[in-house]
Amino acid sequence: MDLNNFLSTINEIEIKNIFFMLFTMVFAIFYFFYALVISKQVQVMNKALQDKYNWLVLFVTSLQVTASLIILIIVLLSMFII
Amino acid sequence: MENNNKKSSAFNSYCLNPDIKFDTREEGEKVSLLLRSHPFTQIGWILVSILLVILFFVANFFIGKIFDLKQLFIINLFFIVFIFSFIWINVLNWYFNVGIVTNKKIIDIDFYSVIYKEITVAQLGKIEDITVKSGGFFGSYFDYGSVFIQTAGSAVNVEFINVPYPSEVAQIINKLLGRKHGSQ
Repeated sequence: MDLNNFLSTINEIEIKNIFFMLFTMVFAIFYFFYALVISKQVQVMNKALQDKYNWLVLFVTSLQVTASLIILIIVLLSMFII
Repeated sequence: MENNNKKSSAFNSYCLNPDIKFDTREEGEKVSLLLRSHPFTQIGWILVSILLVILFFVANFFIGKIFDLKQLFIINLFFIVFIFSFIWINVLNWYFNVGIVTNKKIIDIDFYSVIYKEITVAQLGKIEDITVKSGGFFGSYFDYGSVFIQTAGSAVNVEFINVPYPSEVAQIINKLLGRKHGSQ
């Protein structure tokens, strides 16, 4: 792809959409890593303190990781759809 | 003792003889008390969460005109996830910040700022002084306060901040100390 083709492609997509895609992409990646860190820390704390409601905490944390992964996939897909 | 008939329940902040296990538990060690911050002290982040939910609905009226439907969907998704994460990290902070009193030692488990964990253990035999601090309108009304446990020598002091029934906590620790010293 030469420079002229590249510039015309950018004009077609619109600058606003590019910024939006970049922002959502970065946010989704950060959120995914954040959910992973929280999940790991909860597992560590689960060993440090074993209470009868720990299954609920682990369940919600795993839901958070799943949700972050789904969001990442949605954002990746939307990059191709928008 | 006044509150000794209180039973443990979901996310209770004052549990007598709870069925829990922890890292440093020894053979024959019996847990007498599990403490978390009083639920009233969590009101700050609960109110912020409610405000965020209101903001979410209000913001939708304005950003609806700026973004198209697909973008609006993703923004809303992020907003919901942000509110949920804010609530969840605060719940985790509250749930894993516990004080444990056993017949052998006192343990303070702290979990804060997502990645930090701190476990302080004080042997009952090394406890020198217990200070109870409770004050303010809400502290007096809801009966919560802080218990400071001073240990001998270079051992780290243990603090239970904003726990329910601080006087009863001190009473229970004193009772265990009496038993410990009596058995020696």
